Amino acid sequence: MNEIVFEGERLIYGNLGHLAVVVAFGTSILSALAWAIATNRNDEGWANIARKSFHVHTLAVLSVIGILFLIIHQHYFEYHYAWQHSSRELPVEYMISCFWEGQEGSFLLWIFWQMVIGNILIRTAKKWTSPVMSVLMLSQIALTSMLIGVKILGYKVGSSPFELLRNAMGNAPLFKRADYLSKIADGNGLNPLLQNYWMVIHPPTLFFGFATTIVPFAYAIAALWKKDYTGWLKPALPWGLVSVMVLGTGIIMGGFWAYESLSFGGYWAWDPVENASLIPWLILIAGVHVMLIYKHSGNALNVSFILILLTFILVLYATFLTRSGILGNSSVHSFTDLGMSGQLLVFIMIFLWLPAFVMLETRRHKLLYIVAFFVFVLGLIAFEKYDTTKWPLIVLGLFFCVCSAYLLVKKVPTSPKEEEVYTREFWMFIGSLVLVISAFQIIMTTSVPVFNKLFGSNMAPPSDVIAHYNKWQMPMAIIIGLLTGIAQILKYKKNKQETLRKMLIHAAAGLVVSAGLMFFFELNNWFYVGLLFAAVYAITANADIMLPQLKGKAGMAGSSVAHIGFGILLIGVLVSSANKKVISVNQSGMMLNPDFDEKANMEHVYLEKGKPLRMGDYEIEYISDSTEWVNNYYQVHYKKIDPKSNKVLYEFDLYPNAQINPKMGLVANPDTKHYLFHDVFTYVSSVPKEKDAGKFIHETKHEINVGDTIFTNNGYAILQQVNSNIKDGKIDMSNLQLLLGAELKVITLKGEHMVTPLYGIQNNAVVDFEEVVDEARLRFRFTGVNPKTGKVTIETAEKDTSGEFIIMKAIVFPWINLVWGGTIIMVIGFCMAIIRRIKEYRRIGIE
Amino acid sequence: MRKSYIILIVLIAAAIGAIISTYGDASTYENFNVAAENPGKEYHVVGILNKQKEKYYNPKQDPNYFSFYMIDEKGEERKVIYHSPEPQDFERSEKIVIIGKMEGNDFKASKILLKCPSKYTDGQVKES
Repeated sequence: MNEIVFEGERLIYGNLGHLAVVVAFGTSILSALAWAIATNRNDEGWANIARKSFHVHTLAVLSVIGILFLIIHQHYFEYHYAWQHSSRELPVEYMISCFWEGQEGSFLLWIFWQMVIGNILIRTAKKWTSPVMSVLMLSQIALTSMLIGVKILGYKVGSSPFELLRNAMGNAPLFKRADYLSKIADGNGLNPLLQNYWMVIHPPTLFFGFATTIVPFAYAIAALWKKDYTGWLKPALPWGLVSVMVLGTGIIMGGFWAYESLSFGGYWAWDPVENASLIPWLILIAGVHVMLIYKHSGNALNVSFILILLTFILVLYATFLTRSGILGNSSVHSFTDLGMSGQLLVFIMIFLWLPAFVMLETRRHKLLYIVAFFVFVLGLIAFEKYDTTKWPLIVLGLFFCVCSAYLLVKKVPTSPKEEEVYTREFWMFIGSLVLVISAFQIIMTTSVPVFNKLFGSNMAPPSDVIAHYNKWQMPMAIIIGLLTGIAQILKYKKNKQETLRKMLIHAAAGLVVSAGLMFFFELNNWFYVGLLFAAVYAITANADIMLPQLKGKAGMAGSSVAHIGFGILLIGVLVSSANKKVISVNQSGMMLNPDFDEKANMEHVYLEKGKPLRMGDYEIEYISDSTEWVNNYYQVHYKKIDPKSNKVLYEFDLYPNAQINPKMGLVANPDTKHYLFHDVFTYVSSVPKEKDAGKFIHETKHEINVGDTIFTNNGYAILQQVNSNIKDGKIDMSNLQLLLGAELKVITLKGEHMVTPLYGIQNNAVVDFEEVVDEARLRFRFTGVNPKTGKVTIETAEKDTSGEFIIMKAIVFPWINLVWGGTIIMVIGFCMAIIRRIKEYRRIGIE
Repeated sequence: MRKSYIILIVLIAAAIGAIISTYGDASTYENFNVAAENPGKEYHVVGILNKQKEKYYNPKQDPNYFSFYMIDEKGEERKVIYHSPEPQDFERSEKIVIIGKMEGNDFKASKILLKCPSKYTDGQVKES
């Protein structure tokens, strides 16, 4: 067969890009190894080699990103990635989003952040540089290998973002043609749900958060490696806090994006994808707290190690969950499996295996442990041929965990003294454990599809997911809220009687305030009341700590500020979800449905254009629709009505939009009116399938003189004059024997319009050119002239609006701003704490 | 007894509780027959839309009533009632997962998940 010479392909970019990926991969191996050797031998020469190859690595990663962006930006559709994730009309800001629509691009983003973090570490990590960078580069090897895209022994290793379209979809007949590229008009386009401002900034933040978790992990490994079990805490602590802050911001941004642009109506749905990033965050928060406990009391050092190591493993697990396609039936997010779940599993195993490996003393043990790793992996592959279940994976994972835990307990020094109950560290520790339990419960339920794969079982997620999670997480939140107040008031090590008195005062104040708030928010569930008290107590206690700190020692206030933010966040979550009210319920009193029993489900209303509808305390009207780019916007006018006086309190317009996407059908984006104390959220759940856009009814002929008025249902029109001097570029003027224009002034409730329908004789036949006033839904035709009377005939018609309707749902979220406000305060608190811990770390050098 | 042991016991108890609760609350993927034998109990049923039979949605009359006929993986067919608008792109779905329970002869779905393998990601190359 002859090789086809394809025309117009710009292969140079793909080749360069691929080369850059290979260089990035190679240099990450080289620098990881060189830094490992430098660690073991304390050798500057090797560290130098590592540093140089890391610089090359940095350049290579930047090149990969640059070339991929160029390919997307220039619409080089011969590349699968550009074709699949972008299209010609896509605005530039969304071209950035193309990066994270595909798996390869999101790994690239992660690689980028890890590279940036590496560049910070080689300048700040001082004596820890070699071991820490060695671990970071190990993770970089794993990630860059995801972009390699070669087959080794029949296994696909990685998936290249520079794959050619004709290779990715090789069987299509189109690719038998040399000039196939000229036939591809446009790319597949970006998922409309990602065409949102928040989707441009949420993924980079989240991935930056993911990337930062490697740093505390790397410090912990470095500590075990160098047998310096305590020195790592000071440099690792600010990084841990950065990680908590960024990951937390990323998670809540995802929630905000969901609230602003998804139509499930809320910011959190306990979706597996959301849970996947929440789990490591909770464990990391617990880890950071336990690190502080050790710092002040000398206890629980081994727990710090375990939690910090676990965080990164769980980030990898989250990646596995979201990127392997395993969530398939249980998540609304659609993730495709690029056939790399095996590779992701291997990474998890490597990082589970690593802690024990660095702790092993003798070379013989290390060698045995390496051999064990390979034997197990090969055994697993062999097992797969005999059985479809994958339970040995669990055995293997547990084996590595047990090895690590055993060595950790043996090596890491523990304090012999028992913890006192009346100390901050004791209650902080309890609080951290509650966080761990909370995370554990989320892991269990989120992992149901994983258990099905492992054991061949047939479980499905709980039918009422929200109730299932709330049952567990609400009591946890109450305990955490209370402990947030108690532990903060107590001091490390010793406490006096006075502290107890303070605690009682806070509790009393909290009780009074929350009792008041209970009536204000109209809460009637005791769990809610409990949570409200816990949150108010947490705020009271922390405010009492913060206020004196602000005078002079503001730098110390980070933790109290963060905890106050957390308390506010809890109240916001509680009130906005407990008092969330679907207002789009049918209130006509008519019984339309044969089975009316499930009234709770009737949450959508039918709204015909131009016909106002009363909905709770609101009167709504579907006014008009407009199209912008690919989106249809439906203008819904809201009037808030005072139920007693029936007066209009205030009014506003919402523009929920729906994109009729050729590939995904209707993609609805909600619109929300934000008030300080509540939000009104609206989305369109259904629109008529085919719009009868051109259909006009009630055609009526009017024979009138200049100055006469025509009346219609939608307004009236006055004939100003009949003009014979028409210069209209729109019409073909050839062979025109006559052309007249009827200048009409159309007056509706909302304004005036001038229209000029035309009447003429062309090629001895009568022609006319109609005019439509969209806003008045009127059409005017000039259909005749009576030469005897001088009267003209104007035909009016009204647009048929009976086929124009929307089905919409509306929800009022009270006090949702507390959720966002609490988060912002929390983030400010984290920033203050980070600054404080960085200062502490800097001081080590001086001391 | 040391406090750490007490804490450890509480921790293990909570962990066991979480595991039991996951199993206890977990639904299962079943067919219509099993759902019919246990009316009122919630199940996940996987199946396909019967395109021969009429699916009903008349928003003008009731925007919160949608019904269709689904054939489960065992070939059993039931009428499914869903108190929400018809999900968009419903007919193009290749597989449907409905979550709900049997009531009388009908299956009342509280949630519908559509599986469209041709979702957004793997479209066909369009020639110009």
